[in-house]
Amino acid sequence: MWQQVHDSLSQSAHRVLFKLASFLPGLVALLVAVLVLALIGAAVAALLRRVLTSAKFDERMARNSPDAISDWSPSGSPTLLVARIAFWACVALGFIIGISAFDASSNGSQISTFLLPYLTHSVGAIVLLIIGNLVARFLERSVLIGAVNARLQYARFLSLGIKWLVLVLTAAMILDHLEIGGAIVELAFGILFGGIVLTLALAVGLGSRDIVSRSLEKNVERTEPVSNAPDSPTPSETLRHF
Amino acid sequence: MASTSTNIDASTQPAPAVETGRLLVSLPPLANGELNAALANLAAAFPERTILVATPSSLDVSPGPAPDRLHVLSYTPTSASAISWILTAADYVNAFRLAEENQATACLLLGAESQSIAPEALRALAEAVLHADADLAIAHYDTGPRELLVNSAILYPVSRALFTARPRFPLAIDLALSLRMAVKLAATAQKFVSLNQNDALIWPVAEAASVNYTIAEIEIGPRTMPQPTVSDLNSLLAQIAGSLFAEVDAKAAFWQRARGIQPARLFPLSTLPAEAADITPMLDAFRLAYTNLHGIWSLVLPPNSLLGLKRLSIMPVDSFHMPDSLWARIVYDFILAYRLRTINRGHLLGALTPLYLAWVASHLVLVRNGTAPEKHIQDLAAAFETDKPYLVSRWRWPDRFNP
Repeated sequence: MWQQVHDSLSQSAHRVLFKLASFLPGLVALLVAVLVLALIGAAVAALLRRVLTSAKFDERMARNSPDAISDWSPSGSPTLLVARIAFWACVALGFIIGISAFDASSNGSQISTFLLPYLTHSVGAIVLLIIGNLVARFLERSVLIGAVNARLQYARFLSLGIKWLVLVLTAAMILDHLEIGGAIVELAFGILFGGIVLTLALAVGLGSRDIVSRSLEKNVERTEPVSNAPDSPTPSETLRHF
Repeated sequence: MASTSTNIDASTQPAPAVETGRLLVSLPPLANGELNAALANLAAAFPERTILVATPSSLDVSPGPAPDRLHVLSYTPTSASAISWILTAADYVNAFRLAEENQATACLLLGAESQSIAPEALRALAEAVLHADADLAIAHYDTGPRELLVNSAILYPVSRALFTARPRFPLAIDLALSLRMAVKLAATAQKFVSLNQNDALIWPVAEAASVNYTIAEIEIGPRTMPQPTVSDLNSLLAQIAGSLFAEVDAKAAFWQRARGIQPARLFPLSTLPAEAADITPMLDAFRLAYTNLHGIWSLVLPPNSLLGLKRLSIMPVDSFHMPDSLWARIVYDFILAYRLRTINRGHLLGALTPLYLAWVASHLVLVRNGTAPEKHIQDLAAAFETDKPYLVSRWRWPDRFNP
């Protein structure tokens, strides 16, 4: 009996070690591919930085393009943006080559068939996360500043609502992209999104009650015939900013 | 000092001089009655001079019979601007093109409502470039204490401190240009026009100062100022201040070298308003912004300025006062943030509006307490000049520790 146990254990260990041995070269190939392409990417990025700096790319972009490109660039520099895009494109290429090598060396093992699509989806999810965060922050500030300048008392609440709407949408998109959660994510997203929209609608509606009633009163007054002398101009009307 | 400034009072001008150069007067698009009034005004201003009057052609406008010495030139603008209350890049390009085609030696650019300017003032503007050797003659308006507040708060102090130029209205809409000044301005304007930005603003004072051209300031007295078609303060302030900040960025090499304090000019003090303005809505806007925009301001302003704003936010209405040094520092830090793109430029300029309203409220409180408005504006401009080394230092070393 002990002999049978020993045999099954040694066979099992042999199988695991064999699989590991066939798995390791693929992993090393993946790491080497990423490392080499990252080094190439760094060199390409440095070269691009030097060339674009000498060509005064930032100044040309600032003169000839709208603000949008520079606003999304790191440190407001389009040169840095181009250099970083080149670097990360090389790293992504390294991942693709490495995963292909990994796939080829693993001879169709279940690990690679599981890992390969997941890794590619992860890259997409990271991109979604970055874009979602940027858009959420941009919209939050836009709404906050716009609402404050419109003198809305609930400006902060409104901007936070917009921010979380975008973040919830982003999170749902990421989970959907990664195929995690399935129908639960859709359901939870619907509930959360709808809840935030309803809350915002209630808050804005209740907060704007006075504004709406004042506006309606003004409309009613306009339709009535003017019997009194016109009101003296309000002090704010006497100010001229331009 | 980068340029020589002279000050000419229209009321002391001598009788019309003998004709020595060809003058082109560029008028904005005007309605029929307005155009005839403007032509009559020009005829009264230049009784002994033959002048070319250029006016954009329009189907529904036909000028009446013009006086003999006025040659009315109706033209189709190659670059049209949608803005009529202020001079834009398209106006400078069109004016120069017409001057070149008609061999004019000087241009007189007049803004909307120019028929309200006294003929003597028009003559003084033109004479400054035709006879007084000025390259740019810029109008000085007689405004009330509550008018053109953006000019008083930002445009004039920044222009005076950075470009070392004295004109009180750097974005005046009535200018006289020598031919070389017109060339310079048209070249700058053409860059915007070629990018289809016909409505871009051009800063003639900065352009003249940067090439050391002579600037003259002409007092033209009262004038009906045209009002913007858009009444939204936020978008207008963002447009004007954004343009000025971009100009400061573009002319950095010049103003960092420019030295000299401009002596304060003695202008007749504006009469104090009969009734005090209600500043409560402006203070409410500022306080609301302080509670909500503090996070955004802290990205732009140093701790000292934030502390000053905190004090302001709890200050009672009657004693509300924003120190000139604080406002100067705020504007300089916004210029820096505009240059460094610390935050989105649209957001940055939007966040400036409540601070500007706080300055207006402070200015009005001072006026209510008996301070002459013009004295306060001159003091403010002096504070900007005093604080200029801060801007230069942070412009060069933006990452240096900033208390």
